[in-house]
Amino acid sequence: MHSEYDSLGESGLQFFGKVSASIAHEIKNVLAIINENAGLLEDLTFAAQKGAAIDPDRLNRVCLQFNKQILRADEILKNMSRFAHSVDRFEGQVDLHELAVLVSNLAGRPAAMRKLSIVVEPPATPIIAKNNPFLVQNLIWLCLESAFGATTAGGTLRLAAERNDGRSGLRICGIDGLTEDFAAQLPAVCADLLDASGAKLIVDSVKKDLNLVLT
Amino acid sequence: MSEKILMIDDEEDFLSVMSERMEARNMVVTTASSPLEGLEKAAAGSFDVVILDLMMPGMDGIQALRILKEKNPDLEVILLTGHATIKQGIEAMKLGALDLLEKPADLNELTEKIHAAQAKKMVIAEKKNEERIKKILMEKGW
Repeated sequence: MHSEYDSLGESGLQFFGKVSASIAHEIKNVLAIINENAGLLEDLTFAAQKGAAIDPDRLNRVCLQFNKQILRADEILKNMSRFAHSVDRFEGQVDLHELAVLVSNLAGRPAAMRKLSIVVEPPATPIIAKNNPFLVQNLIWLCLESAFGATTAGGTLRLAAERNDGRSGLRICGIDGLTEDFAAQLPAVCADLLDASGAKLIVDSVKKDLNLVLT
Repeated sequence: MSEKILMIDDEEDFLSVMSERMEARNMVVTTASSPLEGLEKAAAGSFDVVILDLMMPGMDGIQALRILKEKNPDLEVILLTGHATIKQGIEAMKLGALDLLEKPADLNELTEKIHAAQAKKMVIAEKKNEERIKKILMEKGW
């Protein structure tokens, strides 16, 4: 890969912005549920002050909601933290499965908007590549975004990190509308990212697979 | 008089607690957890106000708002969303949304908007009745 490449650049900033906006939306939804449950407690307290009995089961359900939403927010923020720290090092050992899990979690909402599911299948042994983690994440994100547009609503995209012929890669399966010219339809910046990370994209329009091959 | 509300949001935990709180404030609340379900319920029932999430799977809130307004231009719609760009806000207002609130919202503020929406709906209904009566009077020549 090119050591002089600006891994952030305009595309990197756009990627960062999209992920941040999606996370902000998720967190707002969590806060809205916590806010309404806190409001419900206020309503119940007000009613109790007027002499109404409080149902302990109702209080317990509110507590369960608080716990559920706190766990949800914690998971969102863990992903955000992992993502934010991916720019800490320019180059390093990248665990492709872990990276695929992170990007698929970050892309969960855009996928859900199109009624798509993402499944990341774990490899038998870790698939490691030496590369720039942020660049590889950006490439996976762009591939997924384009794959969303080429997959019928209700479909499932399957991601699998694998090693073939001495090269590590990530296969995205289940893109039912995948055609030979898929790579040409990717954003122009994809070519720069592929060049900078020493990666290539292989389209299999028969199997409906997209393979992102790293070194 | 109780306001009849239709809430459309893909967050079911939000719908559940929100409707409970609104019902405690003497509103009659129907919920839908998808835009399609919401459009079906809007077509089947009569509502004073629709509270609509802007970002939902399958169809975004702007698209749902457009369909709601095409089918019933007098329907009052308040958008309630976790994330809205200025562009989306302007588009929603152009399509006839009454207001746009960001989550987490203040229920008192939302209740005021609902009261305002119902009052506006009543004024429109009265005006339509008045026009209908005028038309009858003109036609009959009384």
